[in-house]
Amino acid sequence: MKTALITLLGEVRKSLLISWTYRANVFVATFTLGFIFVGIGLLTGGGELDSEQLTFMFVGYLVWFYTRAAISDLSWGLRGEMSAGTLEQMSMSPVPIGLVLAGRVFTSLLLTTAQILIQGSVFFLLLDIRIPLRWEGIPILALTLIGVFGFGYIVAGATLVFKQSESLANVVENLLLFINGTMVPLDAMPAWLASIARAFPSTLGIAVLRRVVLDGRSLGLVWQDKSLVWLIVHSSICLAIGWLVFDRCERVAKKQGSLGQY
Amino acid sequence: MESPFAIQIDTLSKTYRQRNGAPIQAVKDLNLCVPAGQVFGFLGPNGAGKTTTIKMICGLVTPTSGRVRVGRYDVWRHRSAAVRQIGAVLEGTRNVHWPLSAWDNLLYFGHLKGMWGRRLTRRAEQLLRELDLWDRRKDLVRTFSRGMQQKVAVACALVADPPIVLLDEPTLGLDVQAARTVRDMVGRLAQERGKTVVLTTHQLDMAQKLCDRVAIISKGRILANEPVEELLHLFSEEHYQIKVEGRLPVGVADCFDELTVEEENGNTILRGPIADQDALYDVLDRLRGLGLPLLSASRAEPDLEGVFVRMLDTDKAREER
Repeated sequence: MKTALITLLGEVRKSLLISWTYRANVFVATFTLGFIFVGIGLLTGGGELDSEQLTFMFVGYLVWFYTRAAISDLSWGLRGEMSAGTLEQMSMSPVPIGLVLAGRVFTSLLLTTAQILIQGSVFFLLLDIRIPLRWEGIPILALTLIGVFGFGYIVAGATLVFKQSESLANVVENLLLFINGTMVPLDAMPAWLASIARAFPSTLGIAVLRRVVLDGRSLGLVWQDKSLVWLIVHSSICLAIGWLVFDRCERVAKKQGSLGQY
Repeated sequence: MESPFAIQIDTLSKTYRQRNGAPIQAVKDLNLCVPAGQVFGFLGPNGAGKTTTIKMICGLVTPTSGRVRVGRYDVWRHRSAAVRQIGAVLEGTRNVHWPLSAWDNLLYFGHLKGMWGRRLTRRAEQLLRELDLWDRRKDLVRTFSRGMQQKVAVACALVADPPIVLLDEPTLGLDVQAARTVRDMVGRLAQERGKTVVLTTHQLDMAQKLCDRVAIISKGRILANEPVEELLHLFSEEHYQIKVEGRLPVGVADCFDELTVEEENGNTILRGPIADQDALYDVLDRLRGLGLPLLSASRAEPDLEGVFVRMLDTDKAREER
């Protein structure tokens, strides 16, 4: 337990130091994604920036931002370790590699939260986006992110086996932006597309988060209407599947002898 | 009772599958025991199965069959305990994070092994001072020369003070000076600190100087596994050096089969394996026929390179038969 904690903190420290080395990239990404949000806001608003519409979108965008970070930091980060030749060294830790990566997940949460806060402040000042600060949103966001990072582990596992997973990660990242309810509510989608969208890890979380944060519903109410229950079940399943898939992929990579290859 | 062996490999095999499904057997029924506290040379041509074996010892490649014990621990059943016994520098990779400083790399790899606090910082300082990297500890590794980067990799492998150190081609791509630094350090690891070092290298002169024992592997099979002195002695029986006055006529050198021919101060020296006394007299007769006076003929101690080449040639000839 102690070794796992030390390893986890070591991974967080290392990831933060490397992010600091590449701080210009992090800075540019923060603003690039901010511009994408504004651009999509203009498109959906028919050429105008409607603050009510943008506030609705921002809740989904916030979850998507974390989802994107989960996929990038776990899969691309892992690929970076492969090409740097450090993945095999990482795999020689007494702690399982999946758990070491949890340190990266934590760093990803920290950095993404900082980026979201910067963007949120700018949007608040320039676009009049006002998200009600309700503490009930925090557990819902945390539950949503558990599912999201479970999904990140699936993509990371695919990276261990298939190596060239950038295009897959790209497709998934962009697909999620458009079909997880960030831009368009599920009710406005065709039934077949809404069914597919519900299977994605962030979709249900975004819907519940909107109910709690924007509509002002209590946790008791979302528990009663079963949406919170489903969110807990969905996120737990995503995390369990993510962990199992990653573990399986690590075994396959070791069997193929390709763990450190890229 | 504590085993005298740091690593025990028992009928270890690894078969890879190519994309078309065809099998490639990288390691075949390998049996090997690495004595504790020695420098063990693991030598072989490219593609012999050295790196696959090293990676199976590290738990990075799953064997098709067989098992590996590191100290008291089976690598696959007790992975966590087994990898604590090992520090490794793997071939063909950076092994360390270039965007981090040497100091931060050592702290990170210490954390990965569960070390922290003053014990870790003291150890990191000790290693960086020993390797003459202390003054540049805060510089990013990507600004270092290749030799310095390799020294950081070796330091990271040693940071948790593991009893076993696996060095897969640690001097590959290094200049003479840097290679010498790494070589000296490897020597000290076993002599002064009692570590077990498994070393793979193509620099056989280095292996001869450093190793207590060597195993020669080819096509996934062990051809020899002996203490260096005994291995050299095995071949000294049939290894000769003959010195004659003057130079061999052009084109004649090729007639002396496996003997190497060198010129030195106007004289000619022939070295190499000669099967028995009859063959020796035959060579001497041929030299006399060329009118070259004999200066000396003596049994010579072969070097590891000579033994290595001879063993591979013998194996190849046996396969062709």
